[in-house]
This record gives sequence, C-alpha cells and structure tokens, in this order.
Amino acid sequence: MEMDDRFKEVEKRNREAELGGGPKRIDQQHAKGKMTARERIDYLLDKDSFQEIDKFVLHRCHDFGMEKKRIPGDGVVTGYGTINGRLVFLFSQDFTVFGGSLSHAFGEKVCKIMDLALQNGAPVVGLNDSGGARIQEGVGSLAAYGEIFKRNVWSSGVVPQISVIMGPCAGGAVYSPALTDLTIMVKKSSNMFITGPQVIKAVTSEEVTPEELGGAMTHNTKSGVAHFAEESDKAALDRVKEILSYFPQNYRERPPVVECTDDPDRQDMSLNKAVPDNPRLPYDMKDIIRTVLDNNKFLEVHQHYAKNMVVGLGRLNGYAVGIVANQPRMLAGCLDIDASMKCARFVRMCDSFNIPLVTFVDVPGYLPGVNQEYGGIIKHGAKIIYSYSEATVPKITVITRKAYGGAYIAMSGKHLAADINYAYPTAEIAVMGPEGAANIIFKKEIAESDDPETTRAGLVEEYRKNFASPFRAAEFGYIDHVIFPQETRPRLISALMMLQGKRTSIPERRHGNIPL
Amino acid sequence: MSEIKAPMGGKILDVKVKVGDTVNEGDEVVILEAMKMELPVVSEVSGTVKEVKCSQGDAVEADAVLVVLD
Repeated sequence: MEMDDRFKEVEKRNREAELGGGPKRIDQQHAKGKMTARERIDYLLDKDSFQEIDKFVLHRCHDFGMEKKRIPGDGVVTGYGTINGRLVFLFSQDFTVFGGSLSHAFGEKVCKIMDLALQNGAPVVGLNDSGGARIQEGVGSLAAYGEIFKRNVWSSGVVPQISVIMGPCAGGAVYSPALTDLTIMVKKSSNMFITGPQVIKAVTSEEVTPEELGGAMTHNTKSGVAHFAEESDKAALDRVKEILSYFPQNYRERPPVVECTDDPDRQDMSLNKAVPDNPRLPYDMKDIIRTVLDNNKFLEVHQHYAKNMVVGLGRLNGYAVGIVANQPRMLAGCLDIDASMKCARFVRMCDSFNIPLVTFVDVPGYLPGVNQEYGGIIKHGAKIIYSYSEATVPKITVITRKAYGGAYIAMSGKHLAADINYAYPTAEIAVMGPEGAANIIFKKEIAESDDPETTRAGLVEEYRKNFASPFRAAEFGYIDHVIFPQETRPRLISALMMLQGKRTSIPERRHGNIPL
Repeated sequence: MSEIKAPMGGKILDVKVKVGDTVNEGDEVVILEAMKMELPVVSEVSGTVKEVKCSQGDAVEADAVLVVLD
C-alpha cells in the first residue's frame, strides 16, 4: 500500500466511525429529541479538547451473521478531554450502532478508559444510551459488564464517577450507574429497570409503562436511584459540569477553591426571623441554607426524594461544602428510612472526596410507625450515625430548633466527632419534647393533682423553660456556642477556615461494616 | 381527577377548602397536626374540589385521601 493510500485508509475509517449507525438512525435519534453520542461529547467537553481512544475497535462476534455487520467504534465513543480545563475520562454509548448494545469489545473500551482514569486520578463520566447486552455475544457480553462493575467498585471513593442516563438502561446495565456517585436522568427519554414492563406483565400480571416503571421522575421520587431529573440532554450535561466543579479530581486532592464574590462577613437580619416563634409552625430550611451560602447558590442533590431531608452542594468563602439539613416543612423534618439512606450516602460521598460537611438541624425525632419499624428504621437510621462518625472531613453543625433524642445525636451531634456545633437561641436540645417528658417525669404529680390538666400544663412549661433550650447542652460544652442567626454565615466561614488544617483518622481496619 | 393524601399520620386541625372551591398548585388545603407540628398539606395540581373526605378533629393515617379534586 502506498503512503497516500494508508493516509486515506485512516480517513475512511474515521469517517465510518463518525457516521455511527448512519444518517437514518441519527435522524431517528434526533427525532426523539436526543443528541448523538458524539454531539453529547462535543457539548460536554471544552472545545477541541476531546481525544478519542479505540475509534477503530471492531467486535469479534462470528455468530448470527454479526461477522457481516461491523462498525468502527462498535457502539461506544470513549476517550478523555477537559471540562473547564480539568481532565475527565468519558464513554458515550451510541444508540445508533446496534442499539448501543454492549459487546465484549465495547466493554473493553469502557474498561480501558476507566483504568486510565483510576491510574491518573481523574473523574469518569458515563453517558448511557443502550439497549443492554449484545445478545449475539452471549456470555462475552456478560463478562464485559462484570469487568465494568468491578472497576466502578474499585474506583468508588478514588475518583468521582457520574452517570447520565439519556436513553434506555435496562437489565444488568443499571448496575454500573448504581455503583457510581451520582446519577442524572433525562426526563421522558430515559428509563432504568432490572426487568422491563413485558417481563413484569408475564410474571406478575402487573401492567406498567416504561415511564411509570423506570422513568426519570420514578427514580427521582420513589426509588431514589437517580439524584437529578433534567429536561433535556443539554440540561443533563450542564448539570455534569456544575457537579464536577464542586469535586476534586480524586480522593487525594481537595475540591477547587473559587474566588469568592460574596462578602464572607455578610450578616443577614432575616435569619433572626427564619425560625418561627411558635415551635409548632414549619418553615423552609432551604431559605436558611441559601441565605448563608456564597451568592445564595445551592445545588440540591436528590431534590425530589425523601424531601424531609435536604442535601446538596454549595460554597462558603469559595470553598466547596456539602450541606445536610432536616426540612421541617416535610413530615415535620422526621428521620425515616428514605431520609436516613439519602443522608448517609451523601455524607459518605462528601467524606470520600474531602468535601467538608455543614449540617442544619431541626428534627423532632425518628418517624413513628409500624411500617418504619418493619422496614428496618433501626438499621437504616444507624447509617446516619455510621456515616457521620466515620467522616473525617471538617464537620460543622447548626441546630436551628428541635434536636431531640437519638436524632440529636445522629444529626452530626458533638458526640460523633463533629468539630464545631452551634445552636440558635431557639434551639430545643433534650431527650424528648416537653409534653412527653413532663408526662413521664411528673406522672405521679399529675395523677394526684386536683386539676391534672392545669398541673400538666404548668409542668410542661417548666420543663420547656429549663430543658428545651440550647443552654443545658452549652453548659456541658456539647454546643460550642449559642449564636445569633444573623451571623450564621461569618461563623460558618470562620469555623471552616479554622478547620482547613484538620488531620484525623479512625482506627485501622480492613473496612467497616456499615449496616446495609 | 386527583387525590390529595395525608403525607403522614396525624390529626386534622383545619380544612381550608370546601366542595366547589378552585385550588391552585401549591395551595394549602388542609392543616395536619403531626409530631407536634402544624403541617400544611398542599395541592400538587390545580383543580376544583369535588369531595372533602376529612373534617376537623379527625385522626388520619398516612396516605389517607383528604381531598379529591376534579
């Protein structure tokens, strides 16, 4: 072959790879409102930064006539590039090529970039749009899934892993996203399930649409499998960029610090009125969170799931922080099974990647109920305690109002190695609420009184005054200081800056045994 | 037609709508007392009240239908 011909061969193969499944299938992809695998990469990465790897890889299947159908790249585009100048590795499944189905060669391509990401300490972004295993390849396809899952696990807590679901993701394929840190789903065009509607109908006679079973809102509200639901491919990719801005490249680094354009000493008088005078009235904890963070910017994670718990990312003085908060507006801010899992998983994610934790507490306790107990609130609630106790990042807590019983301890209480614990003057820190406590402590007095109701009311008020306050805890040193709400931001920033040098560890072990 | 359900078990403190009322998304329809808190139950959709299935003082369980909208 002449030199010229060899060059032309490269060009030819490049063209074939870039055409994917061909113009007709690309049109079909666009008609569904979806971008192609390559368009997604172009949109996500910095201009001209993408370096493709394994563009000419072909599958090696010789059964079922597959030997006649080969497309360079084999259904997935892989490589690396930069987002806001920072290195990321990515794979983008191409639904136009064999429905994005995963062959052994396809799996090897994904594994190659996951290995590079792990060795070089940079995040992996997976853009999923695949019909599942390539059935013609049989166990070869399954082996490839297994290799990917193993790498997801080995990368967990080493480099950030973000999954975007931009089409179908069914069967075994769902486990790769499930093993990553955060999952984003595109509304209407994506779904995830282990067994699809047809199998479910055959086995259990239940009729359900793919959207109801595994659409973006299903997994964002009911199952908690996904953390974000976005309107379009572009919105989902924008979300990836936003998320990564809060993360370090790997567990050895700290998150990037940005220039702070918001006054670190900014006080806000509205915070003094944020918690209502009447302890029975709810309020929106997110108002307090936004008021305190830099430029009032809060990236809520799991916004639609277990709304009685709020988690998300923000900045204080330009430094990334993970926010965890009870939400008195939803279920009175009670801890239940879903909220416990949501909280614990977020705390562990932040701790993995050196993101300090700021916890806002207003919690009446764990949610009472037979379903909660049968569902294992004991083991799930224990996850909160486990995750906070093992976290060695800076931990700052602000109790705005209620902090009762076990929930007081669990929500980053001083006793779980929190660094700085503040309380508002409105805080009520006690083993239980005044009504319940007075009924138990003064049972005899109330029963023997001529006017039990008046006696009870008086004793409840006495208990409230003496015990349902931040001062008992502050006298013990369990609260480092009772602060005025208006000064929350400067107080948090000061504590966060003081904690920049924090070095601590928990006892050595193979790995802990979190109650799963 | 859509149903507004109790987010958790508790006691009905106040019913803020009656049959025929127009309800907008985000409107409070019922105030529920639970965990010693007065929790507003808000409608997630807009519509007209077809039926009110609870009254002040009722004890309701989680997921009990409180108001039906047309």
